Amino acid sequence: MTYINATTIAQALGALREQKGKARVIAGGTDLYLQQLPEILVDISGIDKMRQIQITGEILELGSGITHAQTFASSLLQERATCLSEACSYVGSPQIRNLGTLGGNVVNAAPAADAAVGLVTMDARAILVDCEGGNKEAPLEELYQGYNRTTLDNSREILMALKFTVHHPGEGSSYQRFSSRKSLSLPIVSVGAWAKVKDKQISGVRLVAAPLNPSPTRLRRVEKELEGAFASPETYRKAGELAREEAVTRDSPLRGSGEYRRHLVGVGVERALREAVYRAMGIPSEEKAGDYYQ
Amino acid sequence: MKNYQNAEVYEKVTGRAVYGADLNFPGMLVGKVLRSPHPHGKILKIDTSRAQRIPGVIDVITGKDLQQKHYGIAIPDEEPLATEKVRYMGDEVAAVAARGLNAAREALEAIEVEYHPLTAVNTPEEALQTGAPSLHQDFPGNLTWERYLERGDMKKAFEDADVVVEDSFSIPAVNQAYLEPVSCVAIADRYHGVTIHTSLQSPHMNRNIIAGVLGLPPSRLRIVCPYMGGGFGGKVFGNQKAYILASLLSMRTGQPVKIQLTREEEFIAGRPMPEAWLKLKMALKKDGTFLGRQSDILIDNGAYSAQMPFVSKTLSERNDSLYHIPNLYTRARLVYTNRVPTGQYRAYGNQVANFAYESLIDLAAQKIGMDPLQIRLKNCIRQGDVSVHGLKMRSCALPEALETAAREIGWKQRRPVNRGVGLACCIHTNGNTAAFRGFSGASASARLEEDGRVTIITGEQDYGQGTHSTFAQIAARVLDIPPDWIIIHSKDTATTPFSLGAFACRQLTIGGNAVRIAAENLKKKIKETAGKQLENLKHENTENLELKAGKLVTATGKAVPLEKVARQGMYANQGMPLVADGYYEPPETTAADESGYGHISATYSFAAHAIEVEVDPETGEVTPLRLVAVHDSGEIINQLVSEGQVYGGVSQGYGYARMEGYLFREGEVLNPGFHVYHIPTSLDMPPVKPIFLENKDPVGPFGAKGIGEIVQVPSIAAYVNAIADASGARVTELPASPEKVFFALNKGKKEGEAR
Repeated sequence: MTYINATTIAQALGALREQKGKARVIAGGTDLYLQQLPEILVDISGIDKMRQIQITGEILELGSGITHAQTFASSLLQERATCLSEACSYVGSPQIRNLGTLGGNVVNAAPAADAAVGLVTMDARAILVDCEGGNKEAPLEELYQGYNRTTLDNSREILMALKFTVHHPGEGSSYQRFSSRKSLSLPIVSVGAWAKVKDKQISGVRLVAAPLNPSPTRLRRVEKELEGAFASPETYRKAGELAREEAVTRDSPLRGSGEYRRHLVGVGVERALREAVYRAMGIPSEEKAGDYYQ
Repeated sequence: MKNYQNAEVYEKVTGRAVYGADLNFPGMLVGKVLRSPHPHGKILKIDTSRAQRIPGVIDVITGKDLQQKHYGIAIPDEEPLATEKVRYMGDEVAAVAARGLNAAREALEAIEVEYHPLTAVNTPEEALQTGAPSLHQDFPGNLTWERYLERGDMKKAFEDADVVVEDSFSIPAVNQAYLEPVSCVAIADRYHGVTIHTSLQSPHMNRNIIAGVLGLPPSRLRIVCPYMGGGFGGKVFGNQKAYILASLLSMRTGQPVKIQLTREEEFIAGRPMPEAWLKLKMALKKDGTFLGRQSDILIDNGAYSAQMPFVSKTLSERNDSLYHIPNLYTRARLVYTNRVPTGQYRAYGNQVANFAYESLIDLAAQKIGMDPLQIRLKNCIRQGDVSVHGLKMRSCALPEALETAAREIGWKQRRPVNRGVGLACCIHTNGNTAAFRGFSGASASARLEEDGRVTIITGEQDYGQGTHSTFAQIAARVLDIPPDWIIIHSKDTATTPFSLGAFACRQLTIGGNAVRIAAENLKKKIKETAGKQLENLKHENTENLELKAGKLVTATGKAVPLEKVARQGMYANQGMPLVADGYYEPPETTAADESGYGHISATYSFAAHAIEVEVDPETGEVTPLRLVAVHDSGEIINQLVSEGQVYGGVSQGYGYARMEGYLFREGEVLNPGFHVYHIPTSLDMPPVKPIFLENKDPVGPFGAKGIGEIVQVPSIAAYVNAIADASGARVTELPASPEKVFFALNKGKKEGEAR
């Protein structure tokens, strides 16, 4: 086996170019080590540029080499990309979170990848570079090509960073997850919600549920119905009901019946939306909510 | 002293302790097993020629190459390798020995087997249907074992009843989930015979069975146990196929052969606790008096029966002795299916039935409007009682255990909405005469080394549960020396006395008593020897010699170091150190008669667990808030070890209750690994508070009783009872996953109304 430790992006891309499609990129390795390892690996976890969090105005660029633990620990992300921060806190176990990276979570393309759900909820875009010197930017959702597959070619492309707009005042997000145990467990259902609230009215919303499809799934019909709705318990409940109608959930011997999982999509949407709205409105807790609705 | 831990614990936590997987011998080959991909099928042809030619492959065997005899722990229904038929997905069809894992794996792939698939039976119900295909020729109709247990007058009990309560329960197959998969190295040579290095809870019993299969006299088969990475009952007999195949391959090749199971093999070809279905009916008076109970129990044996008839016996009767229920009628059936063969797990089936019976008692209490604690106190067995099956309760603090558990959990306390508490209790044996025909005792030797230190030689097993520390404490107490002066030698059939091994909670009560007696006899010998030595000095009084703090003290206060006594005693004895044996047979125990009646155990342990939970009615998610585990295990010899048993057992019980269980699809195990078969993590566990009542037992050493198995039992029913108390949702099919709780809460509501 050949193991190449790259310290710059140019070096990593050069190595990929030289190996003509035979090399694969490795970062945290938490998913890759479970598979048959390829003969040539290019390790990108030593590239400083890919481990940076940069904010320019409202636009945040997250290096794809940032680990789940770092994402969860960042106070900037806790406040201004809450759903992503929360999602990363659920991944695997402390050991996995210390090694596994955001980029890996996306590229591995597991349908229930927590960070990916958080990123889609933030409407993130992926920044890709390839070994021929090309680069492109695309919505993260469009990267998925099927179960555990992305359009990204791991032997010649690198997911360099993830980019999204952080919460403005009046915006908030939340991540809700149901699983069969509290650690080292894939979700039965997970839901991300982002909301923008103005004058107690929901002026913008994104709802993402997984695993329903190979990729984290935007519940666009529900989002549309919610535009302009008043922030109220009735609205959250209705959102949950609509989500149950929109979501297609299959029976899974490991995750549970389709019926139960559809029900949970509804509970998840109701709770995530409520939390997102509370955060957007600066409501500290359920008990205090009544005062704010007045 | 009560928290004593011997230095083995340092070896383990520093990674120096040697486990089966660490073993390596010169010329050692890797053994691998080819398993059936079909749940049921005829073997038409096996071609191993291509596999034999692979470089590095030394031997490939099939059933045809062997002089096979059927063998079994209870029923001889197994062969080392399947010859005519395969009976489950995982059945052993061929085995290879090769230089290195890669060659062995390659060889498995190169073996060509032609099968004719047969219709498989997936559940006991399917297997019992008329016309269902039979797995074993000798068992047409697939009924492996059946039992009718009758006491009193069942019919009259139901006629006299004010209230009848009934329900059906099911509990899935559960894996022992020990950290260390089975690993063994077999070394055959012409002088010693075969030596198997593998960690087992019962090396001697395995030796006798395996020697029979290999055609060796038992003395020419030696089992040596390295450290064990968890057994939990699963390694009482471990994976006998692996030991037998490794031995056969070593006998044929003349080289050491190591077989190490993968985690997946542990799941698909291990011996998990079986799936069971219990249909129960109970008759009682309005005031809560139990009159009678009727049980119909169905147990999935899987393809081979191992020790399952014994497990089924405990499963079907032990809970009858927890209360006074004068009229009983139980039918228990163990049925062959084309699924993973089953075996035993900590508590030996007691926990399976306890979940159902203790759930039913809560349902009964609810029906007559009585407090579940009071109905238990009214009917439970007490000190001095003899149970319906003849068990004599020489020490029993069950009522105190129930009351303490209730008090500690705040039984009567008002709680916020969606919170509730649940309680359950149990009885467990300390050694069981049904386990082995011949004897039910234990023996040990105590040897005074020439430096004054002591070696205890015992056939009992420490596999992490602390037997070595506890035995050292017992001997130290008798001899009044520090426990660190004592080394326990065990785990080797060639050098230790015959022993039944570590199961049925017999280590401390029975094995510990043998150690106590051996130490007492050694003490006598030391005094006699010292007396003779002192007599030679003429001027010392040899009356009233005492052992005190590692010295021999005379009536006049003269202290002689033990070392001196030991050395001079040894020299006077032509080099033989002072050795004393101890034999112990539990008093008054009897093998049960044909009806199952008899005082079958040295004594009995009792426990009551209570748990507080919070239910989220929207999702069915249950949060366990805290658990109280109250135990009557007699006097506690080692607090640390006992608490460790409680924490471990309770988490296994919680796993049983909340998330564990085999998932099958037509004979295929759908969750054969820890990423898909979930056991609780530390984050899932509530705080656990162990309480020991320290009610001295007249039989156990220094008043102590066993604790190893009972710890798992009552937490399962306590959990489902707490969910019912918190939310009204009664889960009767384990595991009580959030989904099951959710649907139990919303029973009868149409889809969409379910909230």
